[in-house]
Amino acid sequence: MYFHQILLFIIHKFNGERSQTASYYLLKGKKSGQTIQDVTYFQLHSFFSLFPKLSKESYDEAIKILRQNEYVQIENAYISLTEKGFQQVKNMEKPGFNGWLYRGNEQIFWKRVELIVQTLSQFKFQQKKFIPNQKDIEIQHFVKKYFQKRDFQSLQFYTSFKLQLFQLLESANLEKFQKELFVYRLSGYKKSGLTWDQLTNYYSKTELDLKFAFIECLHILIDAISKEQHPDLFDVLDGIEVEVPLTESAVKTNNLFSKGYSIEEVAEMRFLKKNTIEDHVIEIVSADPDFPVEPFISNEQIEKVLEIADKYKSKKLKLIREYVPDLSYFQIRLALTKGEEVNG
Amino acid sequence: MDKLTEVLQSKFGYTSFREGQKEIVEQILAGRDVVAVLPTGMGKSLLFQLPAYLLTGSVLIVSPLLSLMQDQVEQLKMIGEKRVVAVNSFLTFAQKENVFQNLGAYKFIFTSPEMLQNNRFNKILASIDIAYIVADEAHCISQWGFDFRPDYLRISKWLQSNPHSNVVALTATATKKVVEDIEKTLCMQKPFSYIHSVDRPVIAYEVKEVETQQEKKDWVIQRIISTSGPGILYTQSRKKSEMYAEELKKRGVKVSYYHAKMDQEDRILVQQQFQQGHLEWICATNAFGMGIHKDNIKQIIHDHIPTSIASYMQEVGRAGRNGEQSIASLIYCARDVEQAFFISIKDFPEEIDIKYYFQNDEKIIQLPETTTRTLKYWKEELSEKETIELFSSIKQAKWLEIQKLYDLFQNDQCVRKQLLHYFGEELITRPNNCCTVCSLNPTEILYSREPTVFKKDILNWNDRLNELLPL
Ligand SMILES: [Zn+2]
Repeated sequence: MYFHQILLFIIHKFNGERSQTASYYLLKGKKSGQTIQDVTYFQLHSFFSLFPKLSKESYDEAIKILRQNEYVQIENAYISLTEKGFQQVKNMEKPGFNGWLYRGNEQIFWKRVELIVQTLSQFKFQQKKFIPNQKDIEIQHFVKKYFQKRDFQSLQFYTSFKLQLFQLLESANLEKFQKELFVYRLSGYKKSGLTWDQLTNYYSKTELDLKFAFIECLHILIDAISKEQHPDLFDVLDGIEVEVPLTESAVKTNNLFSKGYSIEEVAEMRFLKKNTIEDHVIEIVSADPDFPVEPFISNEQIEKVLEIADKYKSKKLKLIREYVPDLSYFQIRLALTKGEEVNG
Repeated sequence: MDKLTEVLQSKFGYTSFREGQKEIVEQILAGRDVVAVLPTGMGKSLLFQLPAYLLTGSVLIVSPLLSLMQDQVEQLKMIGEKRVVAVNSFLTFAQKENVFQNLGAYKFIFTSPEMLQNNRFNKILASIDIAYIVADEAHCISQWGFDFRPDYLRISKWLQSNPHSNVVALTATATKKVVEDIEKTLCMQKPFSYIHSVDRPVIAYEVKEVETQQEKKDWVIQRIISTSGPGILYTQSRKKSEMYAEELKKRGVKVSYYHAKMDQEDRILVQQQFQQGHLEWICATNAFGMGIHKDNIKQIIHDHIPTSIASYMQEVGRAGRNGEQSIASLIYCARDVEQAFFISIKDFPEEIDIKYYFQNDEKIIQLPETTTRTLKYWKEELSEKETIELFSSIKQAKWLEIQKLYDLFQNDQCVRKQLLHYFGEELITRPNNCCTVCSLNPTEILYSREPTVFKKDILNWNDRLNELLPL
């Protein structure tokens, strides 16, 4: 999936209820209550934290082009698809991203595989001393340990690793050019990978398009790796999946909740605003459907909010609150978050 | 065979020493302070690596450039040395702790000047046996060096307050003034100094002035498409490096740009492709060069006036490492002088920045990181007024330096002779192909380039995977 397609897809999901910066924060993986809650509301898990290094300039430029082509429109600060934009989205393939689960960690997987392949290739040609492309000490240590556990200089390991990588690429649900991206970014003995600039020229695509396609490729590959079929690749995945998809701050808040403190007490203890703690609650509820919400809102209240949202086909807090003035914005957000779990 | 040559063979795989190497190594072994000025590619690293194998204890190497440190560590690992570590700000807390606990077990300990301020590190350093201390890229210590890093001055204080073994200062380029500064700053006592000639007889200097930027561009492109590389074209900006690469690619040259804004992975790939001969030319900013191990570079082109003689020498010095006749061409317009000045001071703080920095919390200021670090250092050492004066005098010195370089290219004297003069040397033998002023015939040096038909390789992932990992 290319950058512009991704943006159209996200804007479509936002349903005309968010400003144009919302998709930017989503792709960057901003860890604010609003963004985390949007992920659940609008079912945008695939795209969360897809490209933490995305620059505002490239993003604004892309939005500008989408507007010029009349795929999107901005009204009252809200961005939405035009009919023309909608037709585009309708014909798109389902994205293969899994941002919520990997959060940029797919790059760690990539770096490990890159260093493993570089090493195997150099050793195959009797080059036992070479300069690793990966400079990150953590990556080097991981690969060293990985090799230590195996008879990595044996033909048996070499053959089985290569075969697993080959089978994975062959069978994964990737486009041909994505397989090319993956293999041509790798380096080995007397063969260095191609730069993004060189690939950009080859495919006549923008660098961002290729980088997103590459991330999608990594996500699809990681998803496709199984312990049975690819045991050697499976071990490379160690620690790639985010186990507790919570921000550090939300984890601290969560720990205090589990000890029985209230929102106000946690805010005071952590020297944070009440708002921030409420954001944490939303984040925790998004991640953990079993988190008890009764202290904050009753089941009847949740149902009432969801009824209104359904009736008016909107998740705008202001609109909903007109019908339930006794509830706070926080409670409405909480209700909507719970609602998404039921529907989603 | 003597002990030194034996180690040279067994550890480094060479059969004999290069000029100067043995003398310097002997002085280090004798426990003397040493200053060695050797052009890059003359085996500078060997000077501090070899004695380590004949002495007990660890060697502490202080290096101001992190990328260089990385390269040095990798080079040592390449010759099979595992007891090597880089202690710098890139290490996580846990990694640092781990290293600290076994510090004495490392033969080579690389570190940055700022780490020398770390108390815990210092305590551990004091408890282990240090054979000798190396100050790498020592010209950065001197204000008169083109790459001055005030941070590096911290090493001086460190030496003053820590009882220490002998100090070895290494650099590729240093004028007499810089050498004096190095000796003083590193508190050296009657140092042995070895200063290799900066002259590279195999490099011919071609200088050409043109009227317009367009003429310049045409000349550069014509030269690159009609003569053989490999070569480096040095430009002044990221944009220009990309522009040239684009233009040359259209004309069938295998070329890539290189600048500091690229992803690290891509920078490494470009370096490798160049080293492996897959690329003929690199269009680069001055970010390119550190850690390039390629000895058959035939041409260096500058399309501008560099910001100092020393940095110019360092850049052209990348040519002809294999001893073959090479050429360094510089093409410029009169207006480039101002541009060079502008670039050399672009990261300098203005008076108003300095005042603001001294009067406010340092974190608010919006300046490049190196500038902030420089200011941070001077804020500890000088008053506001003195700092302002200091920067104004450095600015002036920069301007003079660039003027000097411009004069050198403009007047009708031998370019080589003038470059040597700058480093306090006399020209003794003039090579046949010397410079534009004396005698130079580029057609004798350069072969004509076979025009290549640009065929687009079709990518095939299956084949490529088999090439990387053949059965
Ligand atoms: Zn001459």
